[in-house]
Amino acid sequence: MNLDYAPQCVPAPEPDPTKPRVHYLNHAYGWLSWLFTVDHKRIGILYLVTVTIFFAAGATAAALVRLNLLTPTSELLPLDAYNKAFTAHGTVMLFLFLIPVVPGVLGNFFVPMMIGAKDMAFPKINLLSWYIFMLGAAFFLWTLLSGGIDTGWTLYPPYSSQYSHTNVLYAGLGIFVAGFSSILTGLNIIVTVHKMRAPGMTWNRLPLFIWAMYATSLIQMLATPVLAVTVLLLAVERVFGIGIFDPTLEGDPILFQHMFWFYSHPAVYVMIIPGMGVVSEIITCFSRKNIFGYAAIAWSSVGIAVVGFLVWGHHMFLSGQGYYMGMLFSFITMLVAVPSAIKVFNWTATLYKGSITFEAPMLFSLGFIALFTIGGVTGLYLGVMGTDIHLHDTYFVVAHFHFTMVGGMMLGWQAGLHFWWPKMTGKMYSDFWSRLSALTICFGFFVTFIPQFIAGYNGMPRRSPSYAPEYQILNVISTAGAFIQGIGYLMPVFYLTGSLIYGRPAGNNPWRATGLEWQTTSPPPQFNFDETPIVTCGPYEYSLTSDDVYKHIPVPSTNGVHTGKEGVHA
Amino acid sequence: MTLPIPFPTIPTQASQFAIESDHLFWYITLLCVGGTGLVYVMVAYFCFRYAKNPGARGHVGLQRTPRILGSVKLEFLWSAIPTVLFLSCFAWGIWLWGQNTRIPPEAAQNEIYVVGKRWMWKIQHPDGTREINELHLAVDQPVKITVISEDVIHDFGIPAFRQKIDVVPGRYLSTWYKPTQIGSYHIFCDQYCGQGHSQMVGTVHVLSKSDYEQWREGTYRTKDGKNPVDGSAGWLGAKLFKKLNCISCHGADNTQRAPRLEGIFGTQIPIGGGKTVTVNDDYIRESIRNPMAKVHEGWKPIMPAFPVSQLTEEELLQVMAFVKGLRAGETPSRVEHTPPQIGANPLNSEGGSK
Repeated sequence: MNLDYAPQCVPAPEPDPTKPRVHYLNHAYGWLSWLFTVDHKRIGILYLVTVTIFFAAGATAAALVRLNLLTPTSELLPLDAYNKAFTAHGTVMLFLFLIPVVPGVLGNFFVPMMIGAKDMAFPKINLLSWYIFMLGAAFFLWTLLSGGIDTGWTLYPPYSSQYSHTNVLYAGLGIFVAGFSSILTGLNIIVTVHKMRAPGMTWNRLPLFIWAMYATSLIQMLATPVLAVTVLLLAVERVFGIGIFDPTLEGDPILFQHMFWFYSHPAVYVMIIPGMGVVSEIITCFSRKNIFGYAAIAWSSVGIAVVGFLVWGHHMFLSGQGYYMGMLFSFITMLVAVPSAIKVFNWTATLYKGSITFEAPMLFSLGFIALFTIGGVTGLYLGVMGTDIHLHDTYFVVAHFHFTMVGGMMLGWQAGLHFWWPKMTGKMYSDFWSRLSALTICFGFFVTFIPQFIAGYNGMPRRSPSYAPEYQILNVISTAGAFIQGIGYLMPVFYLTGSLIYGRPAGNNPWRATGLEWQTTSPPPQFNFDETPIVTCGPYEYSLTSDDVYKHIPVPSTNGVHTGKEGVHA
Repeated sequence: MTLPIPFPTIPTQASQFAIESDHLFWYITLLCVGGTGLVYVMVAYFCFRYAKNPGARGHVGLQRTPRILGSVKLEFLWSAIPTVLFLSCFAWGIWLWGQNTRIPPEAAQNEIYVVGKRWMWKIQHPDGTREINELHLAVDQPVKITVISEDVIHDFGIPAFRQKIDVVPGRYLSTWYKPTQIGSYHIFCDQYCGQGHSQMVGTVHVLSKSDYEQWREGTYRTKDGKNPVDGSAGWLGAKLFKKLNCISCHGADNTQRAPRLEGIFGTQIPIGGGKTVTVNDDYIRESIRNPMAKVHEGWKPIMPAFPVSQLTEEELLQVMAFVKGLRAGETPSRVEHTPPQIGANPLNSEGGSK
């Protein structure tokens, strides 16, 4: 064995294709084997199926919104219906898709595998968190089916507590319940990373995806309870009329905004840091390079997670929170922007002198860098107090956060799904269609959201079904882009599903990647590794050969034990 | 600014703050384009330069890449430079914010109250004049704006001024404007407030000093407006003009029984016997209270008198304001065709509103 890269542990041999093999997908059959599974991989698949359905629901609402905005006079939907459609789009996409998607699917599936564990630290809690998520989702579903909700995902009182006639309570209950799923997933991942690492998997050898998931989990655990409290207080005011946020009841509406954004600003990092983790894995693999600045990327994730808790007030500059408070929040916002910039520069530097190929995961990752960079820099306009006055609550904000959360997380998620699909299913998807999908989504994305920056700078307010006629052409372009994107998102449904039947076998390690998850068979066996992996080097040794790392080490054909001190250290 | 592009690009700068705000906006844009451009160029160059057999799948054969782990110098450099640039934006931003919120004394003397209510803007001027969804300002005259909401949170935004302010129930918030360019501009509600959020739009009219004085007198009309400004004396007068049936004889559809009144104010009219009279406030009042006193030559003395019991002195002044403001071709007719108001009205934001 001599490979032109140095995997983190000795790879398992390719299984004999002529012999039937037992793996996590076929060791048991039937509905119950899925619904009562405690296998983190099967739970990951459960999340995959469910969040995909929720994405389709959220995308349908988005399509209604965009179609309605084709004309300035809201000819498709009545005003109420439009308000419900954009609220459905926001709440479903955020709470049921963006927040759970990478932690739930890729986190569940790959955190144990990438650290060489057999499962999560708490497999039953892991299953429980999926059921809690589904319960929360059921409340959302009930909300939508029984007439919807029209408050916007931000649920600002006193509109949400006293004035809205829609199902605020069901939706609130959905948020409340789904939050616990998020907390439990975070808890599970933190404990797993601390306690379940394979021999030799030191903190400095953790893949950056693990660092990202760790930072994300910290946020989920610490911030989500505040959201639960906030929603509970809102419910108390709505149901019992106890004044908390409504000024006619001696409450303070700004208090809600403080509490809400104390969760929701960190939550936007829940929606982006995992994507950053995915991209770090893929950029290295497809440029055959060590990551540039491992420590900088790892600690910038943690830095964002910590400092991200101190910037919530930049959503509220104009709410009347005060000059000096705004100043403080604006200052810290400038600081939290720096780690994101560091990451982008490090990814760029990683490409330097690489040997780059452009399969679909890499195209999605490059798209991530392109879109996230724009999303990041446009945040500057909004974090700076003076310019936020004009751009606050306009389409500029809409375009900005779509660039970060959709351009970032959605592309990060697609990149991760395409990267790990061969490992999850053992099958390879169509190269042509997957690349076309990546290009279509990126192109459609630019067409959709660049005009929204212009409309926003010209003052078009967000959340408006009708608008001044001079904005129409920008909206028509935007809608056209949204439908191009839609085609891009539909493609994977067909070629990924098709690959399950028609795809050629992927082999253990189609990308010739170094991570532990690639050194086992595809799809992985029920307990991930046939032998406990022994980690001998850092996560991205694409520039070394396996001989460099392993030639002094006898290949452990049975159960050789090493301390991890031999060979090259990262 | 008008560019040969079929969509709006740069909104009109109609206030002092708009000009200051745009300076910072373009400074940040410069940084963003520079930073993003740098990343794009580097990524594109590296992808092109270091592509392995572009388009091919997988890595066949042994290819060594240099083992580069990072560089403390570079990490320091690309942490420090963005930090310094971000902080320069921050500093400029708080200065700009101060420009928006520190209200100069000359503006504070002229305080306009704005009440947000689902789904309209109710505006009250210091002299007691009230408007709905319309705000009239004099050019170069600083005004203080104090806002409060009657129900949910709204946001009073004027893109042409680059200014907006949340309208929160239970507390007053203030800002100030110094309009610098004559014209009509959008007022939007920028904070989602329920069903009619998108209908909660209005217009701010920046008028020249003389137009503004006319507007205060109640005789001013918008450029294309068929009617006096809502809520003004002339507007009330127009209502009385219809209510008291003046319109039956002085209306656009009848030219047999009474003269049209458009443009009549200030002119000399014959009253028979070779005499003329100047149409001024007193003559109009007399012609309403006691129509037979001096009748326009060529018309029969058939107009009924309107005593105080039918038309108070106050109301008479409103009718007067209406008559004064009537321009050629604008005499109302008894049958009206008013289009339904949906969304924002198309506006001419090019200035010159009269």
